[in-house]
Amino acid sequence: MLKKIEDWNYYELLSVERTASRDEIWEGYQAALATYRDGSMALYGLVSEAERELVLGRIQEAFQTLRDPEKRRDYDLALLRHAPYFPPQAAFRKSIDRLEIEEAPPRISLWARIKRLFVKNP
Amino acid sequence: MDKRVWAIGGGKGGTGKSFVAASLGLHLASLDRDVILVDADLGAPNLHTLLGLKAGHPDLGDFLTGAAPSLEAAAVETPFRGLRLIRGSENILFIANLPHFRKLRLLRQIRQLPTQNVILDLGTGSSFNTLDFFLSANPGIVVATPEPTAIENTYLFLKSCIMRVLKLYMDHYKIRDLHQKMLDQIEKNSQSIYGFFKSLMETDRSYGTILYRALRGFRPCLVMNKTRDEHDVLLGRSIADVARKYLLIDMKYLGAIPYDEDVHAALRRLSPYYPGHRDAAAARAIRQMSEELAYSIEFTLRTPPEIRLPDV
Repeated sequence: MLKKIEDWNYYELLSVERTASRDEIWEGYQAALATYRDGSMALYGLVSEAERELVLGRIQEAFQTLRDPEKRRDYDLALLRHAPYFPPQAAFRKSIDRLEIEEAPPRISLWARIKRLFVKNP
Repeated sequence: MDKRVWAIGGGKGGTGKSFVAASLGLHLASLDRDVILVDADLGAPNLHTLLGLKAGHPDLGDFLTGAAPSLEAAAVETPFRGLRLIRGSENILFIANLPHFRKLRLLRQIRQLPTQNVILDLGTGSSFNTLDFFLSANPGIVVATPEPTAIENTYLFLKSCIMRVLKLYMDHYKIRDLHQKMLDQIEKNSQSIYGFFKSLMETDRSYGTILYRALRGFRPCLVMNKTRDEHDVLLGRSIADVARKYLLIDMKYLGAIPYDEDVHAALRRLSPYYPGHRDAAAARAIRQMSEELAYSIEFTLRTPPEIRLPDV
């Protein structure tokens, strides 16, 4: 069971980026309502009723805040103070040969490493 | 050679995994692409029937027993140009309990098949064999139907995949005591994956980060099959969103395949559905989702949506 729903910020709740437009926020809100409505099949076997109600309440809260430009600005500032926002970076599986940890540093060839020892700006 | 191994899996039987695999193979072959379909449903193989072929030899069992020298030698031509099939084994009792070394050999040979596209049609359930085939592929496609039973089993399948990925990484980094902790927390106490990571981040942040990154590399796709209205179509989007929040995986919703009575009729005639119904909505949906995955690098290069570690 998920314990800390308050860990999700409003953007995560509506599954939109922090740069989302008003229309995108509206769409995210509608999709979230459909997901967490009473009797939603998407939650079957994974999310309890009490939890569903809690998330639904927070979705309403999120939408009421993000639809209002002033409230949204205040919320964004508070969010930035809490944790800086880094636009998502591309991260991907590099091959089908084996599972790789994403965002691994690029492999440096032996020659490049040797060159680095002797050349200042290779 | 630009090679792709597709795996079609899912938790529940009867959702249409083999139908999706066969249709995908037929579609790719119709584009002059070289395709090998592998019936990796070790318990109940029947992909050959969906292609209008009879069971027979050579099959996957022949490769595993050594009767066929290589996996490629077990592939048979189909009536469709460019499409070959490796039939499932008739010797089910032998093959369903595949020993570890045979599984590794099979996985290795699947990667080495000299073709652009390998499509694995996996069996139902969450056995280690099925999970490992699913995890070794990219993309791995989960097929579900808009029914509570199928959705429940889809989450179970995804959860099993997650546990398997984490275990593989724990083995790799030799942190086996953590594996026991994971089993205790997630299986016995039904604590969520999120909860497990949260407590792990508090106790051991470095391992938590490694495992979280490993988990983010697992990116299954979802297909909703047999949809009857727009609510069913949107349900797929909701499931992908819930999986992202509660299971912490970046699942891509590929789209929905509308319910079509002709699929059943084609099966009764023992003829494949796709070639005779190319203009039907279900065939269009198959085309759309395969094209999205086959032709764009967007899938592998796409940006994961924003979701941060629990206590950052």
